Amino acid sequence: MSFRQWPVALFVAAFSIAAYGADHLQEIRQRGVLLWGADAEGGAPYVYPDPEKPDRLIGFECELAEALAGKLGVKARMVQNQWDQLIPALERGDFDVILNGLEITPQNRQRVAMSRPYYVYAQQIVTRKESHGMTSMDELKGKSVGVLSGSAASRLDGLRVCDLRTYPGNVQSFQDLKAHRIEAVVLDLPIALYYAKPDTELKFSGAAFAPGYYGIGIRKEDTTLLAALNQAIQELAEDRTLERIYIKCGLWDERQASLKEYKAEQIAESKRISTLREWPKYLPMLLRAAAITVGLSIIAMALAIVAGLVIVLLRLYSVAPLRWLARAYVEVVRGTPLLIQLFLLYYGLPQIGIKLNAFLAGILGLGLNYAASEAENYRAGIQSIPSGQSEAALALGMTRWQTTRHIILPQAVRVVIPPVTNDFIAMFKDSSIVSVISMVELTKMYGILALSTYDFLGLGLMTAAIYFGLSYPASIFAHWLEKRLRYVK
Amino acid sequence: MITVENLIKSYNSLRVLDGVCHAQERGEAVVIIGPSGCGKSTFLRCLNQLETPDSGRITINGTTVAAGSGAGNEEEQLRRGLRLSAGMVFQSFNLFPHLTALENVTQAPIVVKGESRSQAETRALQLLAKVGLESKAAAYPAQLSGGQQQRVAIARALAMQPLVMLFDEPTSALDPELRDEVLQVMRQLAEEGMTMIVVTHEMQFARDMADRVLFFEGGRILEAGTPDQIFLNPQQERTKEFLRKVAVR
Repeated sequence: MSFRQWPVALFVAAFSIAAYGADHLQEIRQRGVLLWGADAEGGAPYVYPDPEKPDRLIGFECELAEALAGKLGVKARMVQNQWDQLIPALERGDFDVILNGLEITPQNRQRVAMSRPYYVYAQQIVTRKESHGMTSMDELKGKSVGVLSGSAASRLDGLRVCDLRTYPGNVQSFQDLKAHRIEAVVLDLPIALYYAKPDTELKFSGAAFAPGYYGIGIRKEDTTLLAALNQAIQELAEDRTLERIYIKCGLWDERQASLKEYKAEQIAESKRISTLREWPKYLPMLLRAAAITVGLSIIAMALAIVAGLVIVLLRLYSVAPLRWLARAYVEVVRGTPLLIQLFLLYYGLPQIGIKLNAFLAGILGLGLNYAASEAENYRAGIQSIPSGQSEAALALGMTRWQTTRHIILPQAVRVVIPPVTNDFIAMFKDSSIVSVISMVELTKMYGILALSTYDFLGLGLMTAAIYFGLSYPASIFAHWLEKRLRYVK
Repeated sequence: MITVENLIKSYNSLRVLDGVCHAQERGEAVVIIGPSGCGKSTFLRCLNQLETPDSGRITINGTTVAAGSGAGNEEEQLRRGLRLSAGMVFQSFNLFPHLTALENVTQAPIVVKGESRSQAETRALQLLAKVGLESKAAAYPAQLSGGQQQRVAIARALAMQPLVMLFDEPTSALDPELRDEVLQVMRQLAEEGMTMIVVTHEMQFARDMADRVLFFEGGRILEAGTPDQIFLNPQQERTKEFLRKVAVR
C-alpha cells in the first residue's frame, strides 16, 4: 500500500467499524425500548407536556411513537433534545430515531436516512384578525414576518425579501403578532391549527401552501431499522391507525390520504450545495445581516459608554442614596444573565404596557448591560490616577467636579481605551444573542442559511471572515487612538 | 496674615500634630525643619486643607476654618477660600501629564477664575519666563527634567496669584545637581517679598533666606527663632542633635 492510499484506507476502516456496530434494530428489540428524540418545549401539538398533568407527555407524535413501537414489538420512550440539534444528537447516538416533525428534504437526507412520510404538512400564513391581504408569499414581500427558528418556513425562498424575524418558540411569535411587532407568522399547519386556530385575535390568511412530508430520521447505516419502520408506517396508514390518531388530534385533512400511495421517488435526491461556489447568492444576505450587527453594536456601545460614565460618576462622587443605587445597578446587572435581561425587556415589559421593538430592546439590553462593565472599567481607570493629581488640582482651588472633569477624566480616558475597545469587540460578537428576541443578525442569518443548505463550513468561513473583517479595523482604530492620545507625541 | 491655633491631627492612635500654634506676617519667609515623621508636611497640608485637622483653627488673610465644622457646602466654600490664598508645591511635582507646561499653568486660572485663554496664556508665559522655562512652554511633563518640572509646578501655583506659597520638600525628589535651579527660583521669590512656608532639608537655603526657622519634633514646634538663633545657638538638646546629624550628612 502506497503512502498516498493511507488516508483512504483509514476512512474505509472507520466506516466499516461504524457499519459493523451499525444495525440497531436487533439492539432495540433486545432492549425492548425504542428511544425517540424530540423537543417537548413548546412542542404542541407534536409532543408536549399534558397541561393537566405536566409530568406526562402527549401529542400526536407520542401516540405515533407508541403505535410504531408496538409494530416493532417494543415500548417507546421519548428522549428530550433541543429541536435544531436533533440531527447531531442522533449522529452521536443519544437515541435511535428522530420523530419530531423532521421534514423530508434533500438537506436532511444528506445527513440522515428518512423514512416514508407519516404526515403531510403545509405552510400557513397567520395574521391578526383585522389585517387585510397577506394571503400569499408574494403579498408578504417587505412585511415583517415571524418564523420558528430552523423550521421549514424559515427556509422558504420567498421569505428572503421579507423583514424576517426568527423565534425560539411558537408562543413568542404569536405574542409579537398580537403586540403589532410583526405583521404575519408563517408556520407549519399543525402548529397553526393548535396555537392560532382557537385564538380569536388571529386568523388563517389564505390557503395552506408548499406541502411537504414529515418522516422519521434514522442513522444512515441503520438500514434494517429503516426498512422495519417503513413497513410499520405503511401498515399504520393502511389499517387507518394514522387517520384515527390525526382525527383525534384535529390534524386530519384530505392531504393525508396520499400517505398510503407514497413512492420514494417522489422526493428528488439531494444535490450538494457549495455556498462558497455560489457566494454571490449568499454573501449579500450575510452582509445585510452584518449591517444589523454593526448598527446594533455601535449604538449599544455608545449607550454603554455614556451610561457607564454617569454610573461611575454617581458611584464615586455623589451623595449616599444615589451612590448606593449606582453600585446596586452594577452588581445586579453583572450578576444576572444578559439573556434574562433581554427576555425581561422584550417579552416581560409588554405585560406592564411597555412595548419596545426588537431593535430598541436589543440596544437597551446590550447597552445597559455593558454600561455596568464600562462603569467598572472607568472606576479602575479613575482609581489608577495617582492621588497627587487630584491634590494638585484641589490645591489650585479647583472644586471636586472641576478636578474630575479637567484632570482625572482626561487621564483616565487614556487608561480605559484598551479595556473599552475589548468590550466593544466582545459586544460585537455578543450581539448575536439578540436573536432570542427575534432579530436576524449575522450569526442568526448564518444559522438560517446553514440549516437550509447544510453547508456549515462554507457559510461558517464567510461569516467568520465578515466578523473578522469588521472587528479587526476596530482594534486597529483603538491602537491608533491610544497612540494619538499618548502625552508625548 | 496667617494664624494657626492649637492644631491637632491624629491618624488612628498616632498623633501627628499635637497642638501647633503659629503666626506669620505678610512677606515673611518661614522655613520648617525637623526629622522625618515629625509632622511638618502634615502641618503644611492642613494649612490648605488637603488634610482635615481634628481640632484647631486656621486663618489665612481673614478666612477662618475651624476643625470639625462639618462638611456642608458653606464649609467647603471656606476650605476652597483657604486653598485659593495658598499655592502649594509638592515633593513629587504632580504636574498634569496630559497637559503641556503652558496648559499646566493656564488650566486653573481658566477653569477656576474664568480667565480668557489669551489672558491666562500671556501671564503663564511671563511666569514660565520667570522660572526660566519660556522655551519649554509646549513640552509635556514627561519631556522635562525633574528640576524643570518643579519649576513649572512653581509657575503653576503662582498663576493663581496666591498670598502665600507652601513648599513641601520641593527638592527632595531631585538629583543634587538639579536642586539649585529650583532653589534659585525660590530665593528669587523670597527676595521679591513673597510670603512663604518651606518644609525642607536644605539647611543652606534656610540659613540664607528664612526670616524665621521652626524646628518640628513629635508634632510640635519645639524651637523657633531666626536662622542665627537656631543654627548657631540652639537651645534644645533635640535641635542640637538634629543639626549635628544634618551637618554630618
